[in-house]
Amino acid sequence: MSALLAESLISSLNVDARIDDITKATGWLGALAEDEGWSQATRFALELSLEEALTNVVSYGFQDSTAVPRIRIECYRLPEGRVAVRLIDNGMAFDPTTISEPVVPASIEDAKIGGHGVQLMRNFLETLAYAREGDENHLTLIAGKPD
Amino acid sequence: MHIEREQLGSEVVLKVAGRLDTPNAKPFEASLMEVVTTTDGGLLVNLAGVDYVSSSGLRALLVAGKAMRTAKRKLTLSSLQPQIREVFDISGFSTLFEIT
Repeated sequence: MSALLAESLISSLNVDARIDDITKATGWLGALAEDEGWSQATRFALELSLEEALTNVVSYGFQDSTAVPRIRIECYRLPEGRVAVRLIDNGMAFDPTTISEPVVPASIEDAKIGGHGVQLMRNFLETLAYAREGDENHLTLIAGKPD
Repeated sequence: MHIEREQLGSEVVLKVAGRLDTPNAKPFEASLMEVVTTTDGGLLVNLAGVDYVSSSGLRALLVAGKAMRTAKRKLTLSSLQPQIREVFDISGFSTLFEIT
């Protein structure tokens, strides 16, 4: 999954480890969606998944880390209309693909607060892939599978 | 995000528009909880103007939903756009809330 070709890179963005920069990231992705003519479904899948992943990194990735946060987002054009977004950060190692699906609760009293971000990413994306490369988390989100 | 509040008899209606994302989740939750703590009737959240929701937005609704259930009061959601409905279906939230 690390073989995303440099020549297919459309754009990249560096953000800070703060909640307000999530708006910066989703705004950047929305502008790319317009420029590239992505379908509404592709745009929603990537925007939602990037937000979920970035929220995790910003909220927890640097909690127990002494590293100066570096967060970079890259967007790649793939064959057959697919799009890949890669989120790279130097926070604590965290592989969201290992998170188990939350149990659907029987009632609102039983419902646990949290844990739905990865579930939404899995459902809306074609591929969710993780690799730890050196001191970095590399999370790849792919959407846009033709119907 | 924009929220309009109306009082209809004993029920409060919150008309929400915009994005229920991580940056907006805290003010959204605060608006919901303000109704929960300062009124004693039902709460209807009209989501017709909401075109985006992430797990942070769901979380805010769940916090309010639990508080309303504990108080034995009615919380209803209405007018979900198809993509928002899909997020509710995937997360199982469609069965936790009364949706009209």
